[in-house]
Amino acid sequence: MRLEVNGTVHELAVADGKRLLDLLRDDLGLTGARFGCGHGICGACFVLVDGQPVAACTTGADEVAGKRIVTIEGLAQDGELHRVQRAFIDEDAMQCGACTSGMILSAVSLLARTPAPTEAQIRAALAPHLCRCGVYLRAIRAVQRAAATP
Amino acid sequence: MNDVGEWGRPPQRLEQRLAIEPDGTVVARSGKVEYGQGIRAGFARTVAAELAVPIERVRIELGETERVPWDMGTFGSLSTATDGEVLRVAAALARRQLLERAGARWRLPVDSLHVRDGAVLAPDGRVLSYAELVAAEPLAGPLPEPSTLVAASIPEAKPFRPEARAIVTGAARYAADVRLPGLLHGHVLHPPRPGSRLRMLDATAARALPGVLAVVVDGDFVGVVAQHDAQALAAAQMMTAQWDAPPIAGAPFEAVLRDDAGTDAALAAAARRVTAHYHMPPIAHATICPGAAVADVRADRTDLYVATQRPFGLRDEVAGLLGLSPARVHVHPQLMSGQFGRGNVGDAALDAVRLSRAVARPVRVRWTRAEEFALSPYRPPLEAWFEAALDADGTIAAWRQRVRTQPHTYGGADVPAEFLLMTAGRNALPPYRLGRARVQLEVAPAQGRSGAFRSLAAAPNVFAIESFVDELALAAREDPLQFRLRRLDDTRLRRVLETVRRRSDWDARRHAAGHGFGVACADYGGTRIAQVAEVVLEGERIRLERVWCAVDAGRLVHPDGARNQIEGGIQQAASWAVLEELPLHEGIVGAATWHDYPIARCPDAPHAIDVVFTGDATQAPTGIGEPGSVPTAAAIANAVCDAGGGRRRRLPLMATVRDREQAPSP
Ligand code: FES
Ligand code: FES
Repeated sequence: MRLEVNGTVHELAVADGKRLLDLLRDDLGLTGARFGCGHGICGACFVLVDGQPVAACTTGADEVAGKRIVTIEGLAQDGELHRVQRAFIDEDAMQCGACTSGMILSAVSLLARTPAPTEAQIRAALAPHLCRCGVYLRAIRAVQRAAATP
Repeated sequence: MNDVGEWGRPPQRLEQRLAIEPDGTVVARSGKVEYGQGIRAGFARTVAAELAVPIERVRIELGETERVPWDMGTFGSLSTATDGEVLRVAAALARRQLLERAGARWRLPVDSLHVRDGAVLAPDGRVLSYAELVAAEPLAGPLPEPSTLVAASIPEAKPFRPEARAIVTGAARYAADVRLPGLLHGHVLHPPRPGSRLRMLDATAARALPGVLAVVVDGDFVGVVAQHDAQALAAAQMMTAQWDAPPIAGAPFEAVLRDDAGTDAALAAAARRVTAHYHMPPIAHATICPGAAVADVRADRTDLYVATQRPFGLRDEVAGLLGLSPARVHVHPQLMSGQFGRGNVGDAALDAVRLSRAVARPVRVRWTRAEEFALSPYRPPLEAWFEAALDADGTIAAWRQRVRTQPHTYGGADVPAEFLLMTAGRNALPPYRLGRARVQLEVAPAQGRSGAFRSLAAAPNVFAIESFVDELALAAREDPLQFRLRRLDDTRLRRVLETVRRRSDWDARRHAAGHGFGVACADYGGTRIAQVAEVVLEGERIRLERVWCAVDAGRLVHPDGARNQIEGGIQQAASWAVLEELPLHEGIVGAATWHDYPIARCPDAPHAIDVVFTGDATQAPTGIGEPGSVPTAAAIANAVCDAGGGRRRRLPLMATVRDREQAPSP
């Protein structure tokens, strides 16, 4: 099967029923998508598939054949952080970081579709991502900061 | 389990704590661990300030049992107050020794010299780097008492978290991310109740599954090792076992925390009596990454890559299990998802150790979400009964309070009484003038895995006390904030109350339809904290609009980190209060997915959390990790009552809504 991950095309033999999350983490060593629940409910494992945030834990590897996948590892270009990553650092919008990969990817997708989102739109975009440490307000500010960054 | 150690003093020698490497990097070592509370950042700032080096040149080593000094564990919001202070003193002593060495070489008086950017400077412009000064002889010596060394002032700086870049790029490693050559994957068949005896096991079908390398049965321990995680999980789910659950052990522990003569008589004689009963359900840690560990057990050494708050406790436990000397067990704490007490037990690490020993290969165990709910410790339920007497002028003349809960620590029946008191009794004594009072505490034996959760019993105790105080204020027809101030002696606690009063414009607050305001406060281990919550009732929904918070935690080492902790504590506690209840039947958890145990999401977050620090920079720092979560539930419940939603004496506040919404869960 053919798969484009973070700009690199992979030819992989994939076992039946393999989840995209296991493929990324175990076969490609991309562990930035975290395992939180396996049910599509917590958002820790989100990646972008053709620009859309999806739960990698409930997505079959076969469903993404031929699609463009971006994981958190693929956002920075030549060591230059994406403005959303930068904004999460500047707002210190993280504590343990377990939810951060997913939140950042959902925010990247939101800003691609909606360059100047309202606060309600930001909250809705971050809604799939559970954060036990409670950094929601900082994450909202980080997305606002990123939106204001050229 | 050896969970309850002494409050051991950290080692007091410079060479155990701090070293300067040939490239000038300052390495500071602590047995504490980082799980998002920002201690690495706080320690780095402290050391950088004392030694006048850029923070990027400070490396903090945390919890690596091979290299850092022994430590009891990371809990109680004590890291900055204890170990942060030790590192500060170590860095200050290092600075003094570096100045003395440079002075000796140059034959110049020490007070003519300065430190800057990792070097000592002479008045004539000569420079000696720290690395040069320690090349012949590393820094060493006993650490003096903190008070003998003046603290360098730490500059306000933009947020700096050493782990931040790794987190936002996905490079951060959590226990489940560790990969060793030849790594295998394991799952364990856990009995529903800890300590159960295995009566019957059928593993025939599991053994035949592809990828399965071993089914490990060792007494009451049953596990499976496979090539891939999914194979091990499938095999574990295919095994059937029957267990004999142990009886619930131990007798209830009872203590009288305060007992004034004449309490009963004063209650009987009072002009007005108010009584109430409060109930807090069990709640789950609900950490985002389920328990995970990689163990590599070999003949000569064992390495463990884990999430733990007690690296040394875990080391000793594993050494005991393997019959090894603790010096041969090396614990490598990884970055971990928010623990808040969760990481005080070894769980997944012990699973991985037993499986790795059995197959003589490194094994990773990563629990499922269902296992994380079922097997990780939870905060036990707490009930509180109150009876208070008010005089005609509103003075509290008498107070009777009874609290019943289960252990807020681990270790079952072996926990010493004073430890039960310190944990279950935390903040059970109200800070107010109460007249004649009796306060009793009962700790019933744990039915399941009850344990320590952020602030221990303080949050439930303060919910009950601060709700009841509100009821008294209403009965006395006094403003609830003023009512508290009039009955408090502690000036620092009064000051945080006065501060939230101003910040929230309490005296001018307006009651639009469905809006309400509530206040609550606490002194948590020396940190004074007060909060005002504003809520809106929308039908049965409770919408938290805003929280104002004032905190006095003495000197702040990392102000934005402290703010992050307080905001997070409030957000987490708002979720506990409004939404959370762990379904539990005789100690067995009835939640398997997040649908069974919803926590607050981003749209539930309030519009703003306003945090101000009122602490005095000359006062020693006190904890900030836990206190934020302590008064929140009462502030919200008091606001709900103020908004016309009635007095709610049971948490969660929105149980009815939750039950209805969760009914059709998949
Ligand atoms: S791990 Fe995929 S949504 Fe939770
Ligand atoms: S920062 Fe810990 S879960 Fe979000």
